[in-house]
Amino acid sequence: MVQPKLIYKGAEAEIYLESWHGQLVIRKSRVVKPYRIVELDEAIRRSRTAHEATMMQEVRKLGVPVPAIQHIDPESWTLIMEYIQGPTLKEELYVLPANKKRSRCSDLGGILGQMHEGGIVHGDMTISNVLSEDGRLFMIDFGLGEFSKETEDKGVDLLLLNRAIKSTHYAFHAPLFKAFLKGYSKAVGKKRCDETITKMREIERRGRYFERG
Amino acid sequence: MERIPLQCLGIESTAHTFGVGIVTNDGRILSDARDVYVSAPGTGIHPREAAEHHSEVAALVLLEALKKAGVSAAKLSGIAVALGPGLGPCLRVGATVARALSAYYRIPLIGVNHAIGHIEIGTLTTGAKDPLVVLVSGGHTAIAAFSGGRWRIFGETEDITIGNLYDMFAREINLPSPAGPEIERLAAKTSDFLPLPYVVKGNDVSYSGLLTASLSKLRSGAKLEDVCYSMQEVACSMLAEAVERSLAYTAKKELLLTGGVAANKILQQKLEEVAKLHDARFYVVGSPYTGDNGPQIAWTGMLALRAGLTTGINEARVRPKWRLEDVDIPWRDGSA
Repeated sequence: MVQPKLIYKGAEAEIYLESWHGQLVIRKSRVVKPYRIVELDEAIRRSRTAHEATMMQEVRKLGVPVPAIQHIDPESWTLIMEYIQGPTLKEELYVLPANKKRSRCSDLGGILGQMHEGGIVHGDMTISNVLSEDGRLFMIDFGLGEFSKETEDKGVDLLLLNRAIKSTHYAFHAPLFKAFLKGYSKAVGKKRCDETITKMREIERRGRYFERG
Repeated sequence: MERIPLQCLGIESTAHTFGVGIVTNDGRILSDARDVYVSAPGTGIHPREAAEHHSEVAALVLLEALKKAGVSAAKLSGIAVALGPGLGPCLRVGATVARALSAYYRIPLIGVNHAIGHIEIGTLTTGAKDPLVVLVSGGHTAIAAFSGGRWRIFGETEDITIGNLYDMFAREINLPSPAGPEIERLAAKTSDFLPLPYVVKGNDVSYSGLLTASLSKLRSGAKLEDVCYSMQEVACSMLAEAVERSLAYTAKKELLLTGGVAANKILQQKLEEVAKLHDARFYVVGSPYTGDNGPQIAWTGMLALRAGLTTGINEARVRPKWRLEDVDIPWRDGSA
């Protein structure tokens, strides 16, 4: 019997490694946020827990690697899922040689493209939300995921990812994002890839210094 | 021998405020003169009218700043001016005054990014060393941290800023802008929460849906206080969540709130809770310096001047869309 061990304290959930019916699993519990009023806080945690489980099951059906869900308990805001060892892609990109860095990003482009083609957007697409187990990438953290075929929503995924790479791996940002787009373009086709990039740029401009008339 | 810069004057004219401040090289604020353009209730800022206001008050505000500081213009070590981001017509007033002063007195000119000014006055007045910065105002809703010589954006709004949300809502109910304090006062009268769209995408927020839904609640007969309360709770909670995500991602141990909307007490409380959850120290920019002001530009100019950066008079053109992450910052120690 393994004692539950807190392995990560994220922004919205605590991640425990524990033993459950004889296997090592991850327990993800969405914790109370004292900065939100109770009505808002409980509604958000309950709906995101149930929603995340649904999204992960749907993404899995598309053939995108995600940890398997074992148990859902929206009333205690908890999900139990398969344990993927990691590290995160964010951590791995610091230590990999340049060609491996690029190939990981290209792989990520492939699986995100596969999701987008299947009508699902991630909603929180950073390199911290990708685990790399022996070079195989797993997507995690689907609490903000959505069923969507809108170019706008796909553009947001690209924007968030682009920024995540730019903010932490700025020295390699250009080649890594290029490699990502190569994989992405292969999965969704050049035309759709170009449309999504155009939308990403548009969203980026929109949020910056807003002028009122 | 090179002269050590002693006092720097800064001119701010990016939006509502025409401000002039003077600071010393060790960060003492000698003066802070301002005159604010107020738009008629129910209307937003009109760039040309605001610029006319700035032209009219410029000389008086400048003289007041010099007089209060007890400094004669000829003795200044630098003239700093906010060249952007901001409203073109307003920016041009400040730039014109700055170029004239610089040319007449042969004092170095320093073009400053207004957003960097909000950050630097925040660290100066709080002592924060390496914070995650939350910059909130009419022009910005951005979450940034310093790394590799520049401020990097970790999260921001994907449509309108939190300042716009308040101002556009206020315009519809005929309050003069900036209307933050009045909405905050109305919100404090109730705790009846109406569900409104809560939209967080990664470390980003989106406020346009919240604005539309708040206005439609109001039109369908909800009480103004309840709408103000609910809109403020949702808007500030969304930002707090985006900040918490960024704080978890960057693992910074300081959190600094700066910019005009930093004066909002509910936002302050929520971000303080976020900081506590991640063992970070929480700082809010010194209270007179939440809104746009001359000292924020003067101090950033001083930092640039000490690092040997000046701007040629012919290069000192306004940059209405100048992004904060495009500014090289040689005066800060880089940290990963």
